[in-house]
Amino acid sequence: MGAPVLTHSVEVPRIPVGQWFESTINWLRANLGFVFDLIGEVIGASVDFLSVLLTAPSATFLTLIAAAVVTKGLLEGRGRRATAVLWGAFLLLYLAELLFGAAAAVIGSMPAPLFVWAMELFGAEYVYPPLVLALLLLTALAVAVFATKAPRRQRYTAIGAVAALLAVLTLHFVVGVQIDLITLLLLAALAWVVSGWRLALFSVLGFLLIVSMDKWQDAMSSLALILVATVVAVVVAVPIGVLAAYSNKLSGVLKPVLDFMQTLPAFVYLIPAIFFFGIGQVPGVIATVIFAMPPGVRLTELGIRQVDKELVEAGEAFGAPDLQILRQIQLPLALTTIMAGINQVIMLSLSMVVIAGMVGAGGLGNVVYSGIARSDMPLGFEGGIAVVVLAIYLDRLTGAVTRYSPALRAQKAQAG
Amino acid sequence: MPAVRASNLYKVFGKRAPKAVELLSDGRHRDEIRELDVTAAVIDVSFEVEPGEIFVVMGLSGSGKSTLIRMLNGLLPPTAGSVEVDGTNISALPKRALRTLRGEKISMVFQHFALFPHRTVLENAAYGLEVRGVPRAERHERARHALGLVGLEGWEDKVPQQLSGGMQQRVGLARALTADTDIILMDEAFSALDPLIRRDMQTQLLQLQAELGKTIIFITHDLNEAMRLGDRICVLRDGRVAQIGTAEEILSQPANDYVAQFTEDVDRTRVFTASSVMEPPIPVIDPGHGPRAALRTMRENQTVTAFVVHRDRRLVGVVREEAIGEAVRTGVKDLEGLVVADVERVHPDTAVADLFQQAALSPYPLAVVDDDERLVGVIPRVTLLAALAPGASEDEQAPEGADDLVAAAAPNGAARSEGADGSEGGQR
Ligand SMILES: Nc1ncnc2c1ncn2[C@@H]1O[C@H](COP(=O)(O)OP(=O)(O)OP(=O)(O)O)[C@@H](O)[C@H]1O
Ligand SMILES: [Mg+2]
Repeated sequence: MGAPVLTHSVEVPRIPVGQWFESTINWLRANLGFVFDLIGEVIGASVDFLSVLLTAPSATFLTLIAAAVVTKGLLEGRGRRATAVLWGAFLLLYLAELLFGAAAAVIGSMPAPLFVWAMELFGAEYVYPPLVLALLLLTALAVAVFATKAPRRQRYTAIGAVAALLAVLTLHFVVGVQIDLITLLLLAALAWVVSGWRLALFSVLGFLLIVSMDKWQDAMSSLALILVATVVAVVVAVPIGVLAAYSNKLSGVLKPVLDFMQTLPAFVYLIPAIFFFGIGQVPGVIATVIFAMPPGVRLTELGIRQVDKELVEAGEAFGAPDLQILRQIQLPLALTTIMAGINQVIMLSLSMVVIAGMVGAGGLGNVVYSGIARSDMPLGFEGGIAVVVLAIYLDRLTGAVTRYSPALRAQKAQAG
Repeated sequence: MPAVRASNLYKVFGKRAPKAVELLSDGRHRDEIRELDVTAAVIDVSFEVEPGEIFVVMGLSGSGKSTLIRMLNGLLPPTAGSVEVDGTNISALPKRALRTLRGEKISMVFQHFALFPHRTVLENAAYGLEVRGVPRAERHERARHALGLVGLEGWEDKVPQQLSGGMQQRVGLARALTADTDIILMDEAFSALDPLIRRDMQTQLLQLQAELGKTIIFITHDLNEAMRLGDRICVLRDGRVAQIGTAEEILSQPANDYVAQFTEDVDRTRVFTASSVMEPPIPVIDPGHGPRAALRTMRENQTVTAFVVHRDRRLVGVVREEAIGEAVRTGVKDLEGLVVADVERVHPDTAVADLFQQAALSPYPLAVVDDDERLVGVIPRVTLLAALAPGASEDEQAPEGADDLVAAAAPNGAARSEGADGSEGGQR
């Protein structure tokens, strides 16, 4: 006797899920196109800006970064007013310069020795007004740190930032070291500060390997994409996670949605992403955000829910409003868990790099993808190795931040 | 107006709480409504706390103490009933007004400390003021002061993790003190402290309260602590009020067997004071009377010793029957030489525990005299011993002793007030 032959089958109607999806997308594109255009513009500009910053930072950028570091120290102390005044003056002058070239006039009236010195140092062609303004801002901020009798730690930070900037500028403009290596050193220094010498050593070696494979530009462009995607994902995920921690209903609705976002094959939402944003980095970022966001939401929710209920009650018992409780009690205490979530977001973003490369996001993804397309084994492998180095670097860096418990942070802050 | 008034408060956890309240208000026990799948934590609790009073809520673990105290500042909404703070019904308040009220009127010390681990001890203590928007310098100053009060100066810059449990508890106390509210809720605030510090903190709390006149609602499961601190004590049993009264009322007139059992191993000698165990001084002898009159008075009352007091009840001393009998026989006309002036005197507020030594040294009953040297009562040794017996009540008679004035009436609240009434101006 053979297998029974099925003579009747149950007729299951075809549900046009795919068509529905497509028409939804079409409707969105037709009616809310401008929103997507705006999002695309912002994301595209951010990625470009970061890529430039990472691959070819201008001296002005670097100076402003140093100024930001000093500012952070000032804000912790008593220098709030001074900070606001100085940055305000800088922005005003900078705008004036942009609009009327006014800074040149101002600079003309400044004491001469400073600029003679700068010109000697960098060569006259580098002394252009924005850089001078930024340098002046930095100097003023550093002076403010000392003038307000800021704690010792902040003074060291200020000195360190100025010294690092001078070192970088000297290395680049005077000694002539290419900017790639300087960025590399800065990234390693960041690793040292946040984590320790082991990671610093690893990053120097790993990044040198990338440079020697001639993949530095690609790596930095991928890093820019990952950072932007991470920032967007965190900005979206953390508030959602907080809301989910407050509302069981939302949490229940969110769970399947997050599962859906994480398990739907990434290629599938590349199609609508391209449809909305065209080819390039933006759909890559969008796809990455969607894929990488869920752990951010989940761990934020978990972190907030894990905060001891009695601590929240203590806040309430002393009459604190909900937002203040969130800001002063729940978020700081959930930070370790939230950071673990952000770490996951970054790791997932990295795993999307190659897929993003397929839609023309460039970077290491592109390298790997062309390796596959052309069956170019060495190329593909080198791209892969570079991704791994980046991944380890980012993971250890964010992991180091996660290690600090809230109590430890308070102690550290107190010690300063 | 009472500082806090709870009226028929219920707190039932679970979906079918309203139904449960209905059954409970009909008098069902909370175990009988288990099938509703609810937990009745607080059942029909009513009390009033006067300003400046220390009101102690006590009961075994799970009797609903923490739940009750959380309803008093609105951390938990009652399932039924209402809470009034300074005459405002807090269940009816909008959220914002409730927050303001908490910040300004009620602070709280938590059972498990609830200190913020990411803030220093000083910042923890200053939290209440920070929420109210007090400038940094001022709130730190006041927090430092409060930390000093609880004996934690020098620890301001540590984080709670670096402190022992008892110290953390004191930070919690300092946080409530810094907030400087009229009402303080304290949930087992001293249970994490070792006995020495605990006694110390109790003393300090009593002092603080005497100085600042705070209204304190204090939760404990330690009866001795309750008796020591509480102006009045509310005994909770399975969420219901078993009894509310002063320490002495609860000891001497327990409302039911549960309370009686509960109070069995209390150190009564620390709760009862001289005024609560003393007896009316009968008879007394006027120093102007002669020995013959004195002897008659003593014979009538069948005693062998009697106190000699002036008209205004100021104590002169004590006389013995033998000595007077001798004097009558030898024809002495004056009492003066017969009065023993050197008699042990104690203040009405002295704890019974502190009376024993004096009682042992003296051949006479102790004389309880007020600040103006007026005799308000006497304490024969036997009375003292009777006071130790648990569940002693009015009608119980202590055995008669050879050198006692009268048969001892056992200690109780009533005896105290009689004693007080018996002497004009005894309790001013
Ligand atoms: N949020 C809650 N949900 C459900 N049941 C609760 C909740 N809070 C308290 N209960 C229950 O209410 C009862 C009283 O709890 P409560 O914490 O008030 O007791 P307690 O007298 O403070 O005990 P302890 O001395 O152990 O602190 C317990 O049976 C407890 O399980
Ligand atoms: Mg409790």
